[in-house]
Amino acid sequence: MLNKYFFYNKNIEIKWMIIFPVLLLLSISLITLYSTKSSISLIESNFFKQCFFVLFGFIIFYVLQYVRNVFFYEMAYVFYFILLTLLIITLFMPSKFGASRWIFIGPIRFQPSEFGKIIIVFTLSKFLADYKNNINDWKLIPLTLLISSFPAILIFKQPDLGTSIIFPAVTFPMLLWAGVRPFHLFVVISPLLSIIAAFNLKLFYLWMFVLILVIFLSQPNVKDGIIIFVINLFFGTLSSFLWNNLYAHQRNRILTFLDPTNDPLGAGYQIIQSITAIGSGGFLGKGFGQGSQTHLRFLPVRDSDFIISVIGEEFGFILIFAVFAIFYFLLHNVINSSSKLNNKFGSFVLIGFVSTIFFHVIINMGMVVSLFPVTGLPLPFISYGGTFLLTMITIISIINNIISSDIEV
Amino acid sequence: MQNFNYKRKSTVLIMNFFIVIFFFILLVKYFQIQILNHQKYVNKSRRNSIRQVIQKAPRGIIYDRNGIAIVDNRPIFDLQLIPEDVNESFDYHLFSSITKIDSNSIKENVLNKKSNINKFKAITVKRHLSYIEMSRLNENLLSFPGMLFSELPARVYPNNCKLSHTLGYLREVNEQQISIENSVYKYGDIIGTAGLEKQYEDVLRGLDGVEFHMVDKFGRDHGIIDDEIKYNKKSGSSIQLTIDSDFQVFCENLMYGKNGALISMNPINGDILSIVSSPQFDLNSFIGPIPFSTWNQWNKDKSKPLNNRVINGYYSPGSIFKLVTAAMILENPLINHNEKINCSGMYKYYDVDMNCWNLDGHGDVNLNEAIKYSCNVYFYKLIQEFNLDDLFTMSEKMGFNKKTNIDLPNESSGIIPDKKYMNQKYTSRGWAFGNLLNFVIGQGEVITTPIQVVQFMNIIATKGETKEPKLLLNSKSKNIKVNLSDNTWKFIQQSLEDVVNEKGGTGLNTKINEGGIVSGKTGTVENPPNEPHSWFAGYLKTDNNDLLSLAIIVENGGKGSATATPMARKVFEKYISIKQ
Repeated sequence: MLNKYFFYNKNIEIKWMIIFPVLLLLSISLITLYSTKSSISLIESNFFKQCFFVLFGFIIFYVLQYVRNVFFYEMAYVFYFILLTLLIITLFMPSKFGASRWIFIGPIRFQPSEFGKIIIVFTLSKFLADYKNNINDWKLIPLTLLISSFPAILIFKQPDLGTSIIFPAVTFPMLLWAGVRPFHLFVVISPLLSIIAAFNLKLFYLWMFVLILVIFLSQPNVKDGIIIFVINLFFGTLSSFLWNNLYAHQRNRILTFLDPTNDPLGAGYQIIQSITAIGSGGFLGKGFGQGSQTHLRFLPVRDSDFIISVIGEEFGFILIFAVFAIFYFLLHNVINSSSKLNNKFGSFVLIGFVSTIFFHVIINMGMVVSLFPVTGLPLPFISYGGTFLLTMITIISIINNIISSDIEV
Repeated sequence: MQNFNYKRKSTVLIMNFFIVIFFFILLVKYFQIQILNHQKYVNKSRRNSIRQVIQKAPRGIIYDRNGIAIVDNRPIFDLQLIPEDVNESFDYHLFSSITKIDSNSIKENVLNKKSNINKFKAITVKRHLSYIEMSRLNENLLSFPGMLFSELPARVYPNNCKLSHTLGYLREVNEQQISIENSVYKYGDIIGTAGLEKQYEDVLRGLDGVEFHMVDKFGRDHGIIDDEIKYNKKSGSSIQLTIDSDFQVFCENLMYGKNGALISMNPINGDILSIVSSPQFDLNSFIGPIPFSTWNQWNKDKSKPLNNRVINGYYSPGSIFKLVTAAMILENPLINHNEKINCSGMYKYYDVDMNCWNLDGHGDVNLNEAIKYSCNVYFYKLIQEFNLDDLFTMSEKMGFNKKTNIDLPNESSGIIPDKKYMNQKYTSRGWAFGNLLNFVIGQGEVITTPIQVVQFMNIIATKGETKEPKLLLNSKSKNIKVNLSDNTWKFIQQSLEDVVNEKGGTGLNTKINEGGIVSGKTGTVENPPNEPHSWFAGYLKTDNNDLLSLAIIVENGGKGSATATPMARKVFEKYISIKQ
């Protein structure tokens, strides 16, 4: 039994193309956290805690190399149901910071939603790998979205909007990888985009133009094309109808969500200070430990979700560029490896994980410059936070495992 | 699990494309913020975190001509509390008993601020602590955590001399002074508002230093930022006055209890040695806000203590003004000044009787005697040879009807009426020659300031080659040149000497026995129904050929020969004793 799921001895092969960029990102994280620790004693500092988590992550990495892929494949649905159970339990846990995200077992607390990011990828990968019907039959997309929606809704109720978005989001790249026609995916996403675009009339016209262009180029039959167009038009008008039926305070909340400068001393404060910090950093930054925004605490949340503001302020555009480059290098390598795998399940897992990392990166790095609303997603490998870091290290460990053990199936 | 070879080049491309597009959009946004709008955010973050700390520059000290400090600096203190640092060990009861502020209101104020974002910002609980309060608070420093004193620059007057009008005072700058373009003043700054403090504001004012301190979100100070430019404070320059403080004290004491003015100066270089406008006011009242009642009282007081009589006091010059006509007579070759004219004590001008001050009459008098006895009738008669323009022109030559340009702000120019002035003033009647009879004896519309009168004496004492009066030692003052014939000067000088030194002269009380010779002229300004004002104007020539000119006016002092002349003697005697 154990033999089936685990290796007893194995030459651990480290895929440096994957691990090296991760180590770079971890270094950036630790340097930045060391800079922000200021006068707090080392033991109490986030830097020290993060160091501990990184070391713990190395152990996880080694342990996970001894696990056979079959284990993830066969246990995927089991994990999925455990996840749903834990998420339901979480809802009944006492709330902290106005949200019930954690399960407390004595002194230990953890966020099931974090590990849920891994489990949803396993579940969807198994489902897609096992799917026997025609990939382009109409049932596939709704079914996969249904699978990802259950945990997403439970997490949304915590409430944790950012994390809940990740679940359906990773579904689309995986469906694309499975061979679903991009046009079909586009049709599914388009109503959502219609609602958002309708907030701005010019944007809505532009979007309608893009929609017509895509429909025309994809050449479905005329009837389908018209239906798709009408549905989007309907959702667009629905948007203004919904908007007009909101109470003033609800509208304000949405407006601030979309544009934080609406509320400079409240919800917008953090984002305005964050942009100020990044902008004042310039090309080369103010230097290690020199970020006035950071050190004088104008930036209230800085180690976790807004760590990129600190990096932008102290190390400048040059390191921001480097961070993007490193992430691109990492994601590109994983996608490449995935395309060469013989292991269909493993291949899906890799794409799922790439998507998870990708969405975290763009949402986090977009939100600190107000390109996206503040949703509370941390930056992989760089943001401070134990559970999140261990989740990301687990993801990387599994990626390394899958790539290095592809010969064995 | 089935074996399966999954290679889809196009999907890999699409995915890479997506990643690149999104990363590119984000990078553009970062580029825009960090490179294109860099400066904007730098400014914003600096505004966030940098606080200017002003280092108050001390004002220049004012010394007398002998280097004795008359005006010095002494900081006064405001009492402040930093709410965050005020803790349970703060003794509100003791605090309240020293400062006389209700302990509950302080406590409430502090507790309110403690829970507020401004908890690190000092709140001022009492302004302008007295010395006793300050030392008692300092003794119990440990009972008052979070207490601090904020320093304000203020003036202190260590010398016995008052000089209140001349020195002037400081006030907080007003909105208007700040809003002037390129104004060096900021809120809370002080500015010279009167007297020399105003006149030499640019010299006395220092340049405040600026340090840039790092402050955090709560306003806590994190010290000086090293790589910021620092402007060191520059103390104001000190100034040295022409005033001799001992002499000034003597003159002030002499004027004490009287209303009027006294100026003494050196006609040769324009140095003012003493300058008194009486009554004086207490400059110490201007440290900190003046109590409204004090200010009100000053303004209501009939003796107008805030008025600087030396440069703003409007007095008729009385008989002193006869010397102007004397100069006109002497300069006119057609008039023989030795010709005697009979004074019967009265002069009939058409249907008006004009009296001499001596109703018994002076008998036959020539110009010299007319000056010596201050005979009115002589001048009533001789002015008939002249007209108003002649008098006006000579008066202006002698420095009347214009400012002396003493280095004090807001000097008045007095009034010498001309036809235009008279026609404007008396529209119905207009100018009449009869007015001239009044003007010639320095009454009526002829208005002078004491500084003009002393300047008149300077001109006579130096034969028309004097300087503009000044209070700043070793400063250049303009030459004044009055072109009259040497005989004229000699005659007037001799007459003035006779006024003081010859029997029957009105200035006999000013005669001194040793050390020099005094020349001068008395004046009595009718001021019905009150007592007349009493003038003396003259100069002393010491045995060492030093010159000291002097003008004294005592309001309601009676006859010039009675009140002002003995005072003048004392001044001259004091001067001689100082010189020795």
